Amino acid sequence: MEIAGRTVHNPIVIDEARCVRCNLCDWICPGDIIYKEEDNKLTLPVIQYPDECWYCGLCESICPTDAISVTFPEQMLHNRSNVVNLLGKIADSGR
Amino acid sequence: MNTVKGEWTRIDTDLLIIGGGVAGSMAAVPALEAGLEVVICEKGRVLDNCGSVGCGVDHYLTIMDTGPEWDTPEFLIKHLPDLTDGIVDIEVAGRVIREMPRILRKIESMGVDFTDPRTGTYERVRSFGLPGLYHVHFEGTDFKRRIGKHVRSGRATVLTRTMAVQVLAEDNKAYGALAFNFRTGEWVAIRAKSVVLTTGDVNRISQNASGLAFDSWHFPYNTGDAQAMGFRVGASLANMEFVEMTLTPKGFSAQGLNALVSMGAYFLNKSGERFMFRYDTKGENARRAILADAVVNEYLLGNGPIYLDCRHLPKETLDAMEATLQVDRYTLPAFYRQKGVNLREDMIEISVSELSIRRSGVYFRGSGLAVDVNGETSVEGLFAAGDCATVSGGISGAAVLGHIAGEGAVERIRRINGARPEIDWDDAETTRERGRSFTRRDNGLPWQQFEQRTRQCVTDYAGVRRTRHSLLHALDTLHALAKQEDHLIADDLHGMMRVHESRNIRLNAEIMSTAALAREESRTGSAHRRIDFPQANDEKFRKFIVVDKGEGGKARVRYLDSGLPLSAGFARVSSLS
Repeated sequence: MEIAGRTVHNPIVIDEARCVRCNLCDWICPGDIIYKEEDNKLTLPVIQYPDECWYCGLCESICPTDAISVTFPEQMLHNRSNVVNLLGKIADSGR
Repeated sequence: MNTVKGEWTRIDTDLLIIGGGVAGSMAAVPALEAGLEVVICEKGRVLDNCGSVGCGVDHYLTIMDTGPEWDTPEFLIKHLPDLTDGIVDIEVAGRVIREMPRILRKIESMGVDFTDPRTGTYERVRSFGLPGLYHVHFEGTDFKRRIGKHVRSGRATVLTRTMAVQVLAEDNKAYGALAFNFRTGEWVAIRAKSVVLTTGDVNRISQNASGLAFDSWHFPYNTGDAQAMGFRVGASLANMEFVEMTLTPKGFSAQGLNALVSMGAYFLNKSGERFMFRYDTKGENARRAILADAVVNEYLLGNGPIYLDCRHLPKETLDAMEATLQVDRYTLPAFYRQKGVNLREDMIEISVSELSIRRSGVYFRGSGLAVDVNGETSVEGLFAAGDCATVSGGISGAAVLGHIAGEGAVERIRRINGARPEIDWDDAETTRERGRSFTRRDNGLPWQQFEQRTRQCVTDYAGVRRTRHSLLHALDTLHALAKQEDHLIADDLHGMMRVHESRNIRLNAEIMSTAALAREESRTGSAHRRIDFPQANDEKFRKFIVVDKGEGGKARVRYLDSGLPLSAGFARVSSLS
C-alpha cells in the first residue's frame, strides 16, 4: 500500500469478499491502527497506520468470518541486520 | 457530573484511573464496591481487551497457603533479597505477597477459573528461578475479559481512545488529569479525589533487529506515560536504571523462546557449538537474564549468528511445541509459516530483543514510580500500580498492587471529604494549545524521526553496555532532543497522541540514563551492565537510585539504603494513619 507517496507494508490483509463490515477489528486493535466507519455496511475497515502494528493478531483472532490475515514484511521474515549493532558503541573503557 | 466549559468536557469524580489494564481494572474494584464514582482513561477501545494481556495469559504467580512452608508469604518474603539482587522494597513487596491469596479468591469470584479442567485442581509449577511452585498454569484467554466485564458492570465510566497527558497537582497533592480523545479531538478535564496511574512499562525505547519501532517483545503502546506524568508533578521514581530484554526469533520480537528452551531446545553458535554450558552449569535451563547475557557475549565474540535447535527432540515434544506456539503470541505460527521454516527440520536464527524499562526480569522489583504500602507515590493522592510502579510482579503483581492502590485511594477519599481544587485553566489551555500545535505546524520534526533518534541514542550509548562516558553522551543527546519537543509535528489526532508518547519515551530515557550513570557498578546481568564498573559493589550500591525532577525540569538523583522502604524518602506524611 502507499501512504504519502511512499510504499508501506500492509500488515493486516482483509479479504473483501469475506468481510462483513462489522467494526470488531477497529474496536479490538490496541494500537488504534484500524479505522472502520461505524454504522455503514458498505465501507471496509482501513489500515490507517500500518507502520504502528504490533503483529499481535487480535484483529485476526476476533474476526467472525476469518477475513483477516496478519502478513509479515520481508525485513521481519528474512532479516539481514547485524545483531552486534544492537549492543552499544563502546569505543574505549570510558573513564 | 459532566459539563462542557469552553470546549472542555469537565468531569468531576471520586477516583480517576489512568490505564485500563489489569492493575487499573483491579484498582477500580474496591472503589466501585465502596459505591464511589470511578472514571478510567484508556488508550484502547474495549476495556475487556485493554492492556498488555488483552490477548490472554497462561500463568499466574501466587501464594495459596496450602500447607507446605514454601507456600507461605513468610517463606517467599525471606527470599526477596536473593530474587532481586538485594534491591527491593521489602515493606511494599511483603504486603503484595501477603495479599496474594485474598486477591486470587477475588479474581476467582469474577469468574476466572485457575484450575485445570481435566483434574479440577490447580496445576502449580516452579519457574523463573522462584523458590517454590508459585506459578499456576491455566487457560487464561478470558482472564482480562472477565475482570473488564466485572468493572464495567460495576458502572465505571470508561473513556476509551483517550490519552491522559498531564496529572493535575497542587501543593504536592494530585487532584485530576487532562486528557484528550484521539478519535474525536475532545479534551477532557477531570477532577478527582484521588488518582491511580496504571499505564504499564516503557517500550519503543531502543532498537531491535527488524528496526520496526512497534515490533517489540512487550506492548509497544505502553510508553511510560505514568512515569513521565508522575515525574512532571514531582513524584519520585526508582530502579529506572534496570532494563529488560529477552531472546526472540530474529526479525520478530515475540515471546516464545523460553517455552521451547524449557522443553529441551538447544542454542548453537555459528560453529555448531552448544555454548550455554560455558556460561552456566544448567546450560539452556539457566535463568533468562543469563541466557540473554550469554547470547550477547557470543555475538560480541564474533560467534554469531546464534540458532535455536529443536531437531533432536522426540516427535511428541515437537508436536507439543507446535501446538502451543501461539500461546505466547497468537501470530508466531504464522510468522514461522510465512518465513518457510519449521522447528522439526530447521534451526531458527535468534536475536536479542529491544530493551524495555519494566522489572528487569526480576519479580518484585519494579522500575517506575516509588510507592508506599498503600500504593501511594511521593505525591499525595497519586497512586501507582503494575509495571509503572516499584513493586511489580507480572500479572499477579499488577492485580494485587492495583487492588491495594484502589483500597488506599478509597481510604483517602473518605478522609479528605471531597474538596477538589479549581483547575488552573490558563495552565490547562497551555497544555491543550501545545498539543494542538503539533498538528497545526507546517514545518518541524515528525514524531517518528524524533522517536527514532531517542531509540538510536539509547541503543548506542545507554543500552546493553554502558560507561560513564557513553551515558554522559546519551544525556547530552537526550537533553538536546528535549529542546526539539516544541517543534514536533503530527498529521492528525492519532499522531498528536503519538507525539505525547514520544515525549514520554524520551523523558523515560533521560531518567534511565541519569539513574544508570549514578549506579557505578554492574548488577543483575544485562539489566545494568557498566563496562567501566563490571562488578557488583554491595558495599556502595546496595541502594536505591531515586530520581525526581530537579532544576530546569532535568532528572536528579538521590541514593536511599535499600534496607529502607522507598517511602522513607518521601517528603509528604503518610495519607493513612
